[in-house]
Amino acid sequence: MTTTASADTPATAYRITPDTPVGYRLMGVKKKAAIQLMGSRLWGRFNPNHWDPVYAASTGLQAPIQTGEMSSAYIAEMCVNHFGADFFRNARVVCKYVASTLANEVITTHGVVREKAPKGRGYRFTVDIWADNEAGEKKTVGWIEVDVGV
Amino acid sequence: MNHPAPTTDGLRPMTEIQIRQTRDYIDSLASVSETYWDMVSIGDVLSRELHITPELVILYADAVEDFNPWYEGWRMNTWRIPGESPFGGAVVPPLLVSHFVLSVQFDHTRPFAIGSIHTYHDSEILEPIPVGATVRITTRAIDKFIKRERRYVRHEVTVEDVASGTLYFRETRDILSR
Repeated sequence: MTTTASADTPATAYRITPDTPVGYRLMGVKKKAAIQLMGSRLWGRFNPNHWDPVYAASTGLQAPIQTGEMSSAYIAEMCVNHFGADFFRNARVVCKYVASTLANEVITTHGVVREKAPKGRGYRFTVDIWADNEAGEKKTVGWIEVDVGV
Repeated sequence: MNHPAPTTDGLRPMTEIQIRQTRDYIDSLASVSETYWDMVSIGDVLSRELHITPELVILYADAVEDFNPWYEGWRMNTWRIPGESPFGGAVVPPLLVSHFVLSVQFDHTRPFAIGSIHTYHDSEILEPIPVGATVRITTRAIDKFIKRERRYVRHEVTVEDVASGTLYFRETRDILSR
């Protein structure tokens, strides 16, 4: 479920422009690590660490873990909500999966504009991004770079 | 504190036959698997074409619950449609191809190295990919290293349009091996 816009607020109201200041906080998206999706053919069916409690325990995991790429996709969704078409050209996404996302955890993505460097007619934005669980434990950390108004 | 032993149906309801099918499937995976560390040599290059059909895009987008209409080149009742986005027709979600790198760097002609975990990626999204494009994903193993007693394999990746040669995407990524 996304939390980027209320029913009466157009999503474009959240769009980052050349005027957006350093320190601006992106509104994230929130998702549940649903075991049915984690074990789907698209994501983890071929690797039972991602969906089978018995196999996951045999490799030392507390529970099946979501593929990191699912968290990256959630972060990308947040970035498209805020950067729109700019996120599809000459952008960079760096993600490190620092802790496992366990089945049934609720994950929220976050982002804060760290820097905007002049480039062309606009700026290259650098945004610190992360995803955490309900307890605030970080699961994925990294940063993105996106050209805006260039 | 003692935790109860994990069970096959601990996270979703199953009947006895579903549990048996699940255990048989996992046993079949484990019986033929090598570790990723042993499967890969530095310098290994693997490359495959992927036709990014509208249905594949929907499969991916639904699996991360991302319902952005820019990705819709397929719609229930209508089926295939051109779609709409700021680039004209429907486009591929920005990190979709990153996910399918897995199906290239893990040699698909050999049993999958189960127990491997993706830990890091540094991705450059260079150009939007139109839905319907056929891309070539190429992976090159550039390093194997041990950090905190864990074994990692690093790859460099490119994704190009087969027809036009457009370079859509580049990535460096790490896999933690068993």
